[in-house]
Amino acid sequence: MLPKQTPDRLPSHPTQEIDRSVSVTFNFNGRTVHAYSGDTLASALYSSGVRIYTRSFKYHRPRGLLCSAGRCPNCMMTVNGIPNVRTCSVLVEEGMVVKQQNAWPSTEHDLFSILDRMDRFLPVGFYYKIFHRPKQLWNIVGPIVRRMAGLGYVQTRVVEENNYSHETRHVDVLVVGGGASGMSAALSASRRGKQVMLVDDQQLLGGRLRFDGNLYDGIPGVTSDVGYEIADNLSKLVTRNRNIEVMLGTTAFGLYEGNLIGLIQGRSKVKLRSGKVILATGIYEQPSIFDRNDLPGVMLSTAIQRLIHLKGIIPGRSAVVSTCDDQGYRSALDMLKAGIRIVAIIDSRERFPNELLAARELQENGVLVLMSHMLIRAEGTKHVVGAAASRLSDGHATTEEREFDCDLIAMSGGFQPADSLLRQAGCELSYNKSIDRMVASPMPDKLYAVGRVIGNDNLGKSIVHARSVGSGVAEVKSADNALSTPANFMHESQDLTEIKNCTAPSPIDLSQGAKQFVCFCEDVTARDIVRGIDEGFEDIETLKRYTTSTMGPCQGKMCHKHFANIRAKSLDNVDSAVYTTARPPVTPIPLGALAAQVHTPIKRTPLDRKHRELGAKMIELGPWYRPHTYTSSSNECLSVRNTVGIIDVSTLGKLEVVGQDAKTLLDKVYTGNFSTLKKGQIRYGILCSEDGTILDDGTVTRISEDRYFVTTTTGNIDVIEEWFKWWTVGTGLCAHITNVTSSYASINVAGPMARDTLRKLTKIDLSSDSFRYMWSRRGMVAGVQTLFLRIGFVGETGWELHFPAEYAEHMWESIMDAGKEYQITPFGVEAQRILRLEKKHLIVNQDTDAVSTPLSGDMAWAVKFDKDDFIGRSSLISARDSGYSEKLIGFNMKGSEVPEDGSPIVSENLPVGRVTSSRRSPITGQGFGLVWVPADMAEEGKVVHVRVGGENLPAELTFIPAYDPDGIKLRE
Amino acid sequence: MAFLLNCPNCGERNVGEFRFGGELKVRPEPNSSRDAWTDYIYFHRNVAGDQSEWWYHSFGCRKWMVALRNTVTNEVKDVLFPEDVS
Repeated sequence: MLPKQTPDRLPSHPTQEIDRSVSVTFNFNGRTVHAYSGDTLASALYSSGVRIYTRSFKYHRPRGLLCSAGRCPNCMMTVNGIPNVRTCSVLVEEGMVVKQQNAWPSTEHDLFSILDRMDRFLPVGFYYKIFHRPKQLWNIVGPIVRRMAGLGYVQTRVVEENNYSHETRHVDVLVVGGGASGMSAALSASRRGKQVMLVDDQQLLGGRLRFDGNLYDGIPGVTSDVGYEIADNLSKLVTRNRNIEVMLGTTAFGLYEGNLIGLIQGRSKVKLRSGKVILATGIYEQPSIFDRNDLPGVMLSTAIQRLIHLKGIIPGRSAVVSTCDDQGYRSALDMLKAGIRIVAIIDSRERFPNELLAARELQENGVLVLMSHMLIRAEGTKHVVGAAASRLSDGHATTEEREFDCDLIAMSGGFQPADSLLRQAGCELSYNKSIDRMVASPMPDKLYAVGRVIGNDNLGKSIVHARSVGSGVAEVKSADNALSTPANFMHESQDLTEIKNCTAPSPIDLSQGAKQFVCFCEDVTARDIVRGIDEGFEDIETLKRYTTSTMGPCQGKMCHKHFANIRAKSLDNVDSAVYTTARPPVTPIPLGALAAQVHTPIKRTPLDRKHRELGAKMIELGPWYRPHTYTSSSNECLSVRNTVGIIDVSTLGKLEVVGQDAKTLLDKVYTGNFSTLKKGQIRYGILCSEDGTILDDGTVTRISEDRYFVTTTTGNIDVIEEWFKWWTVGTGLCAHITNVTSSYASINVAGPMARDTLRKLTKIDLSSDSFRYMWSRRGMVAGVQTLFLRIGFVGETGWELHFPAEYAEHMWESIMDAGKEYQITPFGVEAQRILRLEKKHLIVNQDTDAVSTPLSGDMAWAVKFDKDDFIGRSSLISARDSGYSEKLIGFNMKGSEVPEDGSPIVSENLPVGRVTSSRRSPITGQGFGLVWVPADMAEEGKVVHVRVGGENLPAELTFIPAYDPDGIKLRE
Repeated sequence: MAFLLNCPNCGERNVGEFRFGGELKVRPEPNSSRDAWTDYIYFHRNVAGDQSEWWYHSFGCRKWMVALRNTVTNEVKDVLFPEDVS
């Protein structure tokens, strides 16, 4: 069927949000649809004759507009390539491309609707029960079921940029819900000088009053008494108020600890911290439960009011109204005034609501009202053509049936508070019989609620209460939450008996047909729920998971109440109508909105430009960008061994430890002795956790009596700074820890010609007699105040120079110039790794892991058990006395293969150890490195087998470093 | 976790700026029994309720502080520098 353009709408009216002077066109399933500016996609489609919007999740039943307020799943389409967009919440824009989904060949004629006839083979939880024998069957059926069930498809081929914006905001007060109560609360709070944010998921402020033409007398401080005019007045005040920021079309999807609220508005997500939060979220109208209550043409009574008043659409010609409270009458009167014939009003209550103006007016117009009746069935296959009602007796339908012709059914099955955020905040709800609704009990700190969400249905009283809450939150200090404790305000602001008898629970009679839908999202019927209970899923949480009721896109907005009621009824315990746990998000939101953008902060050393000029191949190491190689690692290694090399080691963590207790602190955190260091002396140290495992290593230099210079492993500086500070405050020592990592640039010059190179730049006597290995000096180098450390990670005569980072390039150039005649060569991390491996110097976290201790790591010499105390001493004593299972040792491959880092050591075809570092030696040309083996295997000269590419290759273990085992070169 | 910690130096901040340092414990004397050390290193009281615990403001002032927090509700009752803990 090709929908015709039917431009006939109601005459203009102040409630209408469409601008008839601006016409907009968009593409729908390849066809052009005309709309007015201010139309939603759904209203424009309705106006152009579309009735079937979607096909249902499981049975592929035709579905039309249901809530028209962005809550239910019935109008979801693919808009501009984005699936599952609720078309009733999206305003039309020129050129939009809209496609229907989950149907083949079309939503109008969906062949998959054959599933609807097969419902007896697809009972609740069918995927747990059938198609599982033989076992392989599900492998075939599963993908088909998945393909046939469901919603729209994400276009996986188009890699969408993460073009969601992410923002973090702070306000004094957040008001969720822009109805009369929410606006009143926002206004009061802002008048007390608070910065207020007001959010609403609709495109305009006003809430339900936008389509309410009723008269409200005697509301103080409001200049009008017509519903929509009150909304308009308030919204003008709000919009003009500079202390209120209004965000429309915005969903508050989650309320987290500390009043952190997630907001989503189109493609921007806001993480909002709000001092106080006022919830004015209102209520959701619920469907009635009758056979085929999902047919297109069956709508919530408020949805019809929205179409009439907001869009000027006449939704049908003749209507049957099913209601259990006064709402049905209000909607019926609106329809009557819009020219729709009201065939009958089916009210489940016993007494006609005489006091209700709308009811009397309908009666005067001769509208048929059937009290003590319920709607039992809608007639039609693709659209409503009629309805059947039955007299009620003891809450059950009798055989006294009446049938009606109609093309529209308005249903009002009661209301449910929009309480997801309240419940997320941990608020408990209890059932209030007189208003047939769950009501929230005491609020958490700094959270308040106003309006109908907490059962405050009287507009005047609700506005007054909202004002007092608004000004209250602006004044009251935290912890005083008396304002929003329902016990305190509800009875003074509203007498609940006032509306007693105006509402009765919507009747449900399970015998009235198989297609009484409760959960529209997941195609769960009332019968499915009862069947689930019969199968033993009594608990509401398990029943929810088994039936998947409330778990669809609407997250229970259309079904929670009936779901809980049917369960309570089947268990013969109406008071046990408990709800399921509420969790964020309130509404489905795209993952892109939640995924943070990837911002990896890369640290560059002050010599970064030099490395690039030299054409270095850079790699990421922890947070740093470092040169991997400049030419080739073997070349660079040979230069260091034969002449002189230069490497940027600015990434080393550097700490200054100063204070009268600095020495005590270092003795405590390191396994070695540092109080005994002489001024200028350097010592290698190992830091352990209290359980004796290695935390870090590095050098400690005593600068003066109360000042030490400490280096740490590159990636560990933050952890070690934290660690030192913790032990300082924990012990009350007088020591100050300053992280100077980026204050100093650091360069290591190493090799036989290092002394000759540096000698040109400084007056410090670098001869080995005066400047010995593991000693430091301070002095000028190339005109820059420098700390010299004579240490040798790479195993050569060498100095580590630390100097103000600002001079890094000058220093580098000066040393390069001075070393030119010795063919000074910059070397990268790779060469450094090979050189240190030849010296059997380990790298923490490369060669050690979370259980390595200095003892098993073959560094017992660095642990001074004779000290009274140090961190890890007790655990290391235990390890020393009871032994340890693994040991770190060097290896040399017998053949030419070089195992990769991490290769296993195998014994009798079982892995017993692992290689931690492995390289090809530039000296021997063979593989060598470090390996963890069982302690009893760790013997000098023992042959073990390394698994390389499926083969077990022999390697010889050794404790002796490959290069300069006695450290003669270091001391030269 | 999204609660706020009131850093005595920087004011109220998102908990994400801090690193948790575990519950407050008394370190045994160096020559205590092995059992005492094992208890200290490997066992925690892990209370469900008010707990005194360490926090480090790693993305702020980089100072250690002690917080009194209810581990069930995440209500933070007090945050102090260690020297101010009475």
